[in-house]
This record gives sequence, C-alpha cells and structure tokens, in this order.
Amino acid sequence: MRLLSIFRNSQLSEVIRTLRRDRSASIGLLLLFVLIFVAFLGPLIAPFGSNDAIPSLRLSPPGTSGHLLGLDHQGRDILSRIIHGTRLTIITGVTPVIIGALVALPLGLLAAWYERLGVVILRMMDVLFAFPMALLAILVTSSLGAGIINLLISLVIVLLPYYVRIVYQAAASQNALPYIEALRASGTPVRTILFVELLPNVAPAAIVYGATVLGSIVVTAAGLSFLGLGVQPPLAEWGVMISEGRNVLLIAPHVAALPGAALTLLVVACNLVGDGLRDALDPRARATINYQANSRK
Amino acid sequence: MTRLIVNRIFATVLVLLGVSFVVFAALHFSPGDVARTILGLGATEERVQALRQELGLDRPLFIQFWDWLVALLRGDLGRSISLSVPVSDVISDKIWASLLLMGASFALTVSFGLLFAALSGGHHRSLLDRLITLLMLFLASLPPFSLGIILLIVFGLQLRIFPISGVGAMADDATVYVVAKHLFLPAVTTAVSSLAVVARVTRSAFIDEMGEPYVQAARARGHSEGRIITVETMRNVLPSFVTIAGLQIGFLFSSALFSEIIFNWPGIGLQLYQGILQRDFPVVQGCVLAIAIVFVIGNLLADILAIVLDPRRRG
Repeated sequence: MRLLSIFRNSQLSEVIRTLRRDRSASIGLLLLFVLIFVAFLGPLIAPFGSNDAIPSLRLSPPGTSGHLLGLDHQGRDILSRIIHGTRLTIITGVTPVIIGALVALPLGLLAAWYERLGVVILRMMDVLFAFPMALLAILVTSSLGAGIINLLISLVIVLLPYYVRIVYQAAASQNALPYIEALRASGTPVRTILFVELLPNVAPAAIVYGATVLGSIVVTAAGLSFLGLGVQPPLAEWGVMISEGRNVLLIAPHVAALPGAALTLLVVACNLVGDGLRDALDPRARATINYQANSRK
Repeated sequence: MTRLIVNRIFATVLVLLGVSFVVFAALHFSPGDVARTILGLGATEERVQALRQELGLDRPLFIQFWDWLVALLRGDLGRSISLSVPVSDVISDKIWASLLLMGASFALTVSFGLLFAALSGGHHRSLLDRLITLLMLFLASLPPFSLGIILLIVFGLQLRIFPISGVGAMADDATVYVVAKHLFLPAVTTAVSSLAVVARVTRSAFIDEMGEPYVQAARARGHSEGRIITVETMRNVLPSFVTIAGLQIGFLFSSALFSEIIFNWPGIGLQLYQGILQRDFPVVQGCVLAIAIVFVIGNLLADILAIVLDPRRRG
C-alpha cells in the first residue's frame, strides 16, 4: 500500500497522467501501439509471405484484386511486405536508442565523477559531434560492412555523444547536491554512489532524450538501409523497399511511395510521443496541458 | 567577446584533428586487410603486398596517421579506386554543387522557419497557430527520402513542372533560371524537416517573448501587433533562432545526401553514394571528411554569430 501511494504522488505518475491528457501524445501512443502490434503479429496478419512473388502481376497498381496496395517489381504483394517490414524497421530504429542509453549512462556518470576522465570522454564526444548523424553512421557501416548488426553498432555510436552529454549534465548537477556530499562523507563506495544513488536521478533525462530522438533514429536507420548499408534485400524493411521502388519510379511510383508513407506514419507517431513525454516532464508545459484538459471537460 | 571567439576557434582546430583521426581510423580499424579492402576481392596476392608497402601499413599506426595528416594538409586524399583519379579532384569537382544545394536549403530553412514561427508564435492559440503547428509536426517527421520521392512523382512526373534529375548546367543554355529550376525540388526536400524544427523551437521563443512586460508596454504605446512581432520581440528571439538554425546544419547535410541521390544532383552526397556502391573507400573517406569539415566550420560560424548577437555574452 505504501509503495502504491508513493507511486501515486511520484513525478512518474504525474508524468503518465499528463501524457494521457495530452491529446496529440495519446494519438501518437495509440499509433505506436498499433504499429508495434503489427510488428509482433506480422506473419499472422499479412495476406502473403514477404517474398511470395506472382511474376505475372508485376508492378500492378493499388486496387488489383486480392492486392490492396498493388505489387512490386518482382510481383510481391506490397501490403504484405509493408506488414512484414514493420518488424525490422522498428527494431533497427528502437534498439540503438535503448543500447545507446545503456552505454552512455555509465560513461556520463564516470565523466561527471572523475574530472580528468571526464575531460577525455567529453572531448572524444566532441569529435563525434562534428559529424552529421547520417554521415557518421555511413562512415562506420561502410568500414564495418553492411548488415543489421553493424547498422545497430553505427547508430549506437551516432547517439553516444548526445546521450553522454545529457547524462553528464544531469549527473554534474546532482553531484553538487547535499545528498551526494553526505554519501561521500559517510564513505559510501563510489560504485554505490554512482550506480545505486545517482543512476535513478539521472536516468529520466536519458529516457526523455531517447524518446525525443527516436523519430530521427528511425529515419536514419531506414535511410542507411535505403543506401544499401543496413538491412539487405530481399528482407522486407521499409528503407529497402523505398530503395527498390526507386528503380521503377517512372512506371510504378506506388512501389516506393507506399513504404515511404508507412515510414512517415511511424516517425509521426514517434515524434508525437517524444514531444508529449518532453512536455510532460517540463513543469511549465505540464501545467498548460493539465489546464487545457480541464477546460475541455 | 574576442576571447570567447578565439577559444572557440582553438577548440574547432582540435575537433578537426580528432575528426581526421576518426576518418583515418575508420579504414584502419575495419575488419580484414586494408590493402585488400582497397583493392577489392579480385586482387592478386602480389598486388596486395605491393600496396601494403606503398601505404606503409607495416609501420606503427601513429606514424601512418601522421603521414596521412601531412598528406591531407597538402590536399592529398589518395586515389579513387573506381575512377583512378585523385580523390581531391573528385571532391573539388563536386563540392560546389553541394554547397549550392546546402546554401539554398539553408536559406529556405532560415527564412520560412522564421516566417512560420512569427506567424504562429505571434498569434498564440489562434486558428493559424494551430494549423501551422500541426503542419510543422507533420513536416518535421517527413524522412527526406520519402518526401523527395513524393515531390519527384507529383511535380516531376505527374505535373511536369520541375525537372527530375541533374543540375541543368550541362546544357548550353544554362542560365540561372535553368539551374534554379533544377535546384528547387532537391532544396525543398533537404530543407523541409529542418525548417519545421526551426519553426517549432523559434515559435516557443516567440510565445515566451510575447508574454514579457515590454510587449505589453509596446501595446500600450499603441504599436501595431505586426511591429511588435517584427521589431520588438524579433530582436530577443534572434539568439535562440540562430542557435537552433545552426544546429540544423548537421541535419541539412544528412538530408542533402538523400536529396542528391534521389534527384541525381551531382554533389558530394551522390559521389559518396557511388563510392559506397563501388566499395571505393578512399572516395567515401574523402567525401565524409569534406562534409564534416564544412559542417564543423558552419557550426563555428553559427556559434560566433550567436555570441555576437547576444549582448549578455559580449563581455
């Protein structure tokens, strides 16, 4: 019971309540859930397999009987491929955001605790900052070789400088607070201070950043597959599908346009949720959202 | 102020050094033999050995990097494998088209970003504000390769208003008009999502400023809303506007890469793509380095401008 009441009064529950009241964030969340649902059920709800081809119907437009969204250059059903592709598109976009946070948390905490090590880590991050996102990912994947694992590694590297800087700033502002000084004075091991006491107070900043950057990472991941550096054909992934569709753009524009639309929908959903989460953690914006929700009643 | 700027320039030089190391290391830390990577799988063992010697791969990594850096400062980036010309020639050939595209996209981002921000932030909670906010949310989420393909289908293939590929400068009658017509779709594709991000952030800066007492005072003095937005608040919005616009340069570079590929714009991005397809690693390296250098210098300029524009930082 006590735990429950702590939760009720905690900032987290406040955040969740605000998020549910925020109309656009709710729409985003709903969209995201639907897409994740589709990703899970992919093979069960898709009318055809991802590489089942009917060559005689190649490039048929949307509305062809039995093929709602038409067929591609190999005669594969586009709706089915979009459904199958949801899985890899979401996985390649979401995984680096999670792993990136897990790698950046210790780095940022250590950088904030040990001053000299911090200078070294932050200068290294400054160098990574000097590359536009997609470019750094291209450099890494073209050096390691194309493929899903290397794509994930490259996106984690791309995210690191942003994450580490945010964790560092959050940890540095905590370090100045009395409770840390008390822990230090009482001889608590550094390990405990960093990963038991500091971590929970620093993690929310990283989580919010992860939510706001998710949209861009989904785009970058699909972009790398579009360039041929990520997921490889014939696997179904939206970036790959757009890239394949480019070759038949003049005769069958729907082959590239439809996965493009699906990707846009996913990114809109990610950005709606990210914005909502950011606002929900910003006390001023939270007040506005609650005020608006109350005045709607 | 001068000291701030000098420090910033010094830091930039260090970052550039780090950047060149990362680009250098990308080749040397790649799995497998570097010489074999460069020559491709078809190369004979003798050629691989010869190239290893020629590249000095048997020497310590640090010395290799030093040699590479010295060569780089002389403008020597190695030779392209697929084109067998110096990479520096390839880059100096292509960089102008890229800079033109970047310049046009940045101009679009800045001008329309500020315009939309002023229209919606200056009229907070109006119908116009809501519409623009919704539009910007959608535009900020549009991946450049999706948008580029849609623009290409609609304006290039269906309506035939704009050409779908190239720069148009090859034709004998290449005029500013012809180039601008070719430039339009790629520039819009590149700019759209950055434009929307700039508009959204600057809008909140406008909303904050519109609530300040000096705006009320200006209203009381009988200044029109238009004057208040364009003159009174604009001055205070500018520093945050310049900062967010500067931050967008990186995204513009990433987007420009995709629009160059989709619209066949003969710049560094398209060259980089061809380098990737042909496994021409020196070209990939050179293109990445060139873009990173332009990006770092662009950031430096934006920072200096933000320092100059912000009276609090002019010590």
